[in-house]
Amino acid sequence: MSDVPTFILIVSGAATGLIGAMLGLGGGVFLVPLLALALGVPIRTAIAASLISVIATACASSTINLERGLVNMRLGMTLEVATTLGGLAGGLIAAALSQRQLFLTFGATLAVMGVVMAMRSGRRNVIADEAGVEPGRLGGRLQEGDRSYLYRIRRLPVALAASLVAGAISGLLGVGGGIVKVPVLNAFCGIPIRVAAATSAFMIGVTGAASAFLYFGRGDVALHLTAAVAVGALPGSLLGARLSQRVEARSLKIIMAVVLLLVGLRMALEAQ
Amino acid sequence: MTSRVRTLERIVEAALTAGVAVSGLLLVAGLVLGSTAPLWWGVLLLILTPVVRVLVVTVGLILDHDWLFAGVSLFVLGVLLSSVYVSGRL
Repeated sequence: MSDVPTFILIVSGAATGLIGAMLGLGGGVFLVPLLALALGVPIRTAIAASLISVIATACASSTINLERGLVNMRLGMTLEVATTLGGLAGGLIAAALSQRQLFLTFGATLAVMGVVMAMRSGRRNVIADEAGVEPGRLGGRLQEGDRSYLYRIRRLPVALAASLVAGAISGLLGVGGGIVKVPVLNAFCGIPIRVAAATSAFMIGVTGAASAFLYFGRGDVALHLTAAVAVGALPGSLLGARLSQRVEARSLKIIMAVVLLLVGLRMALEAQ
Repeated sequence: MTSRVRTLERIVEAALTAGVAVSGLLLVAGLVLGSTAPLWWGVLLLILTPVVRVLVVTVGLILDHDWLFAGVSLFVLGVLLSSVYVSGRL
C-alpha cells in the first residue's frame, strides 16, 4: 500500500481525469508527473496506475462523446490497429529504457507537440455541409449549433504512424497517447479538434488495455493506489467531458499547447 | 449518420457504462472495506471493459455485413488477446 493518503490519491485522479477528458488526452500526461514527481511514487508504479486510470477516463468520457455523436468509430477502429500494436510493443520494451531516457523522451515529445499545436491553433478543418460533398468512409459530419459541417481524413499513413508512436508512448509511459494523436489528427489529417479529441479518447481505452495486461501480469499494479486514483478519475473525466463542450475550439488548442510545453520542460529538467 | 451506426454507438455506450459502473463500485467497495479482492476484480474489469467494447463493435459490424471494418476490429481484438496471452507468461 502507498504511503500517500487515499484522499490525496482520489483528488489527484479526479483533477487529472477532468483535465484529461477536457483535452482528450486521457489524463496520464499529468498523472505520471504528479505521482512520480510530487507524491514520490516509484515511476514504474506511477506508470501502471496511470495506465489503469487512463482506461477509466477514456471509457467514462467516451460514453458522453458517443452520446453527442463526436466519436468517429470507423476512424478510431482503423487507427486502433496501429495504437494497439504500439501499445503492446511499448509495454514489452518499457523495462529496457533507463528512467533518464524515459523522462527525456517524454519531455521532448510533449514540447514538440505543444509547439505544433500552438502554431496551428487558428486552423479549421471543416467544409460547409453542402449537397454533393461526401466525407468518405473515414470522414464524418459535425453539428455545431444549427450548422452542419463535414470533414475528410487526409494523409491516413501519417495518422497511422502517429497512432503507432502514440501506442508505444502509452505502453512505455502510461500516458494514453492522446498527446500525439490529437495534435497530429487535427493539424495534419483534417480532423476537427473536438472529433480528434473524442476519437482519441475512444481509442485510448483499447490502447491502454493492450499494455495494461502486461503491467498487471508483471505485478506492477499497486492495487490500493491504482484503485484510489481510478475512483477519482471516473467522476473527474465525466465532468471534464461535459465541460469540454463549453470551451471554444481555439481556446482548447491554446490550453493544450501551454500544458504540453510546461509538462514537457518539467520532465526534461527531471532527467538532468 | 445512418441509424444502424447510431444503434451500434448506443450499444457500445451501454457496454462502456456498465463496465465503468461495475468496476467503479468494486473499487469503491474495496477502498471502503480495505479488502484486496474487490480491488483486484475492479482493476481487472476496468482493463477488460475496452476489450468488451471491441468485441461488441466486431459483432455489430459482422451482423451489419461490414466485412472490411469487421476485419479491422477482429485484428485489434487479436492484438488485445495476444497481450493477455503474453501477460500470462511474464
